[in-house]
Amino acid sequence: MSILSKMLKNKQKKRQNDNYRQQQDPQKPEEQVILRSYLDNVSRIKGELGNSTDLVFREFTICQHKGTVVYIDGLADEKLICDFFIESLSDEEFDSRQEPFQVMADKAVGLGSLQIATEWNQVFDSILSGNTIFFLDGYNKAINVETKGWEMRAITEPSTQLSIRGPKDAFTETLRVSTAQIRRRIKSPNLWLESMKIGMVSQTDIAIMYLKGVANEKIVKEVKERLKRINMDAIQSSGHIEQLIEDQAWTTFPTTYHSERPDVVTSHILEGRVAIIVDGTPFVITAPAVFIQFFQAPDDYYSRFDISTGIRILRILSFYIAIIGPAIYIAGTTFHQEMIPTTMAIAIAAQRENVPFPAFVEALIMEVTFEILREAGLRLPRAVGQAVSIVGALVIGQAAVQAGIVSPVMVIVVSITAIANFSTPSFAMAIAARLIRFFMMGLATVLGFYGVMLGLMFLSIHLCSLRSFGIPYMMPIAPFNLRNQQDVFVRFPVWAMKNRPKFISKGNMVRTGENQKPGPKTKPDDQGPKGES
Amino acid sequence: MKRFVVTAWIAVMCLPVLSACWNQKELTDLAFVMAIGVDKGKDKKFNVSFQIVIPGNVSLMQGGGGQGLPIAIYSSSGDTLTAAARSVTKKVSRRLYYAHTNLIVFSEEIAKNGILNIMDALDRDPEFRTTTQMVIMRGTPAEVLVSSLANLDKLPVNKITKEIKATEAMLGENMQINIDDFLAGLVSDGIEPVVNGFRVTGDIEMAGKAEDLQNTKTKAILAADGLAVFKKGKLIGWIEHEKARGVVWILNKVKSTDVNINWNGKKKAISMVTIRTKTMVSAKVKKGKPVIQIAIEDEGWISEANTDVDLTNPKEIEKIDKLVEEEIKKQILTTVKEAQKMKSDIFGFGERVHRKDPKLWKKIKSNWDEHFAELEVNVKVDSYTRREGIRTNPYWKDLKQ
Repeated sequence: MSILSKMLKNKQKKRQNDNYRQQQDPQKPEEQVILRSYLDNVSRIKGELGNSTDLVFREFTICQHKGTVVYIDGLADEKLICDFFIESLSDEEFDSRQEPFQVMADKAVGLGSLQIATEWNQVFDSILSGNTIFFLDGYNKAINVETKGWEMRAITEPSTQLSIRGPKDAFTETLRVSTAQIRRRIKSPNLWLESMKIGMVSQTDIAIMYLKGVANEKIVKEVKERLKRINMDAIQSSGHIEQLIEDQAWTTFPTTYHSERPDVVTSHILEGRVAIIVDGTPFVITAPAVFIQFFQAPDDYYSRFDISTGIRILRILSFYIAIIGPAIYIAGTTFHQEMIPTTMAIAIAAQRENVPFPAFVEALIMEVTFEILREAGLRLPRAVGQAVSIVGALVIGQAAVQAGIVSPVMVIVVSITAIANFSTPSFAMAIAARLIRFFMMGLATVLGFYGVMLGLMFLSIHLCSLRSFGIPYMMPIAPFNLRNQQDVFVRFPVWAMKNRPKFISKGNMVRTGENQKPGPKTKPDDQGPKGES
Repeated sequence: MKRFVVTAWIAVMCLPVLSACWNQKELTDLAFVMAIGVDKGKDKKFNVSFQIVIPGNVSLMQGGGGQGLPIAIYSSSGDTLTAAARSVTKKVSRRLYYAHTNLIVFSEEIAKNGILNIMDALDRDPEFRTTTQMVIMRGTPAEVLVSSLANLDKLPVNKITKEIKATEAMLGENMQINIDDFLAGLVSDGIEPVVNGFRVTGDIEMAGKAEDLQNTKTKAILAADGLAVFKKGKLIGWIEHEKARGVVWILNKVKSTDVNINWNGKKKAISMVTIRTKTMVSAKVKKGKPVIQIAIEDEGWISEANTDVDLTNPKEIEKIDKLVEEEIKKQILTTVKEAQKMKSDIFGFGERVHRKDPKLWKKIKSNWDEHFAELEVNVKVDSYTRREGIRTNPYWKDLKQ
């Protein structure tokens, strides 16, 4: 393990030295200055961007000054710019005494938020993120107006985290829309947003949102520092960020949470977590994340507490089944036949009579087949998807049994394991269980239930050793904390969840006011015998 | 430190690949022994028969299955049980597996000669369960019972174990006795074990034949029959029928049973079925001699009244209760007499005395059997009729008018 990490480290150093030197080099100061001649400026832009065809230059005249406007087709809102030219520039007389640059700036304010740029860096950044730049002949500065407006996907229903009663909107790829979705849910001045750009080439916009006074300042600082440490050419999705800011790389368990549901992210922010929104990804990361969080579905909070408690316990049980289901089958049939009820042992023996493989191979065949099916189902174009499910039903079903490859019990074991796996609300956690299952199967083959127990012990030790942004991953189960059990195995009634989880949030802890338990409220004077009022 | 961790990790990762599979045995390589029968051998001490289940013929699967016989019998002989069990593997293609053995049958002959030489093997083997039921085969060799088929249960062994269980629950003439119970009775002072008896009647030859199952009334009939009384590991006699129920009753194992009483001069006119019953046995010391007190509380309902009786009258009910009490008392006392005749304390009276007066027990312990034979036993029965079924007065009352 450590050898591998050492190798990786060396590689990283090398790459940093070779590849990224030019990009990290600060440009020389004289090259940074915008030139007075607008034509020179235009040719500079053309030169720097390789004369890209989506660059748009439009010349105009204002107060006898020639100028040009530069933007990128598709990124900037072209309609807005056209309207601006028609209304503001074309048919108005200008006072020649006024400074043309000032006039231009005054007009352009109507277009969007405005800045005066004096350096090329700023100009390129702005153009590439959809802004419009106005150059005027004779000025070594430029007007930088925000005119972002590109085609974006509309807000749709979440596709991976479904809920029955909850809100039906999901994040989109556009950062601004996502932040607005969160803002709309928390109308508090304490909801702070900080932005940064990560990725030396991609310059991806990233925003972190947290509730000031509720979030732990240390964690916020840590999140920011870890984000700043990222030194990559491109950030293509929040998955990248997630892998770069984790505490422990050598684990299958997710130590940050990601969601495409604004309501989930909002509730996490309200608990004191930090949300990391990455432009171009509809999945928002929240950190720190604890183990039990991955078994909390949004519907837990929208339905009554007794029901959601039952369902949550069911989910945890099914997580166990997903991990050790096939392992128990293998251990039971090859080591501990005495533990199976007689009739069942005989029934399984009868079914296995014609199966040529030992239980482990049988289980492996079925599990691998199922994993292949699942993977194929995910990757295939939708039109072919149905064909896969039909074929899949044959492969892990009656046909496989009739062909004498597997026993009917095995089909049931694989199916229950798969279904149990699907019931984990978080895909990241479900996928971890998939991997661990094979590890457990191996242990069960070699050592039986003893091996399964060893595996589970190893797993618990591993889980307890994990941390997410400094917070123990198994919190509040281990270390056990009685006051924070409100939302672990038992979901307390909403009116009884008085405080925010103490291990995450610092500062304002009160979540629910006093006397929130519903029921007919008795007025003080109602307490006497009837008819007295 | 790091180097150590790496080496340790690699070593651990190699473990599953390099090690053999400890104790691994595939289900299909096992022969499930369901029942074991022990008979007296000709040349060697024991002749042991193993009932092995044929899984494919038991389990109901689509297409085939349940066609052939559910069991196969293999037998071998040896001077010890282990020797016999090992030598039988010459005849079986699979590894004999004892964890699901439900029944062990001893022939009457073996039991009379003493089964102490067998029990340790059963108690010691880690695979074999001590919850296995014990049965003594009466009249015929144990192999007959082991190899017999049953029509109601797919697994013949279930017929025997379930039958004992059902009898215990509904009649109370037999009770489940496993190896653990037997050994506990064997080694404890002041109690001797009893074991269920079984008998095959009718055409014994037909017992192991599939064609007998074609008859709605099988020609060979397997039935529980009596309780075997042991003393020092040897069978010394049998307690039958209602007396056997007395044993079960004193041991507080009766769940339900029926008691019949005479009424209006008509024999067995009223039948009462026990719902709940509880037996408490206690010892007293009177003039330096132990006295046993058996108190039975019995609740029941009237399941039959074949005579003119007014069941709406509490006084009549009280009279019935009195008669039931007397009937039970009579039966219990005859049972005790029977056991006293055999000088075997199957009820555990000695244990009661021991608890009551350890000093006295020390004195009389050595010849407890003699004391037991002359023990004064008092029986007190309290019986209550709780209900009369879904009819109050019998039609006999209307017939009278």
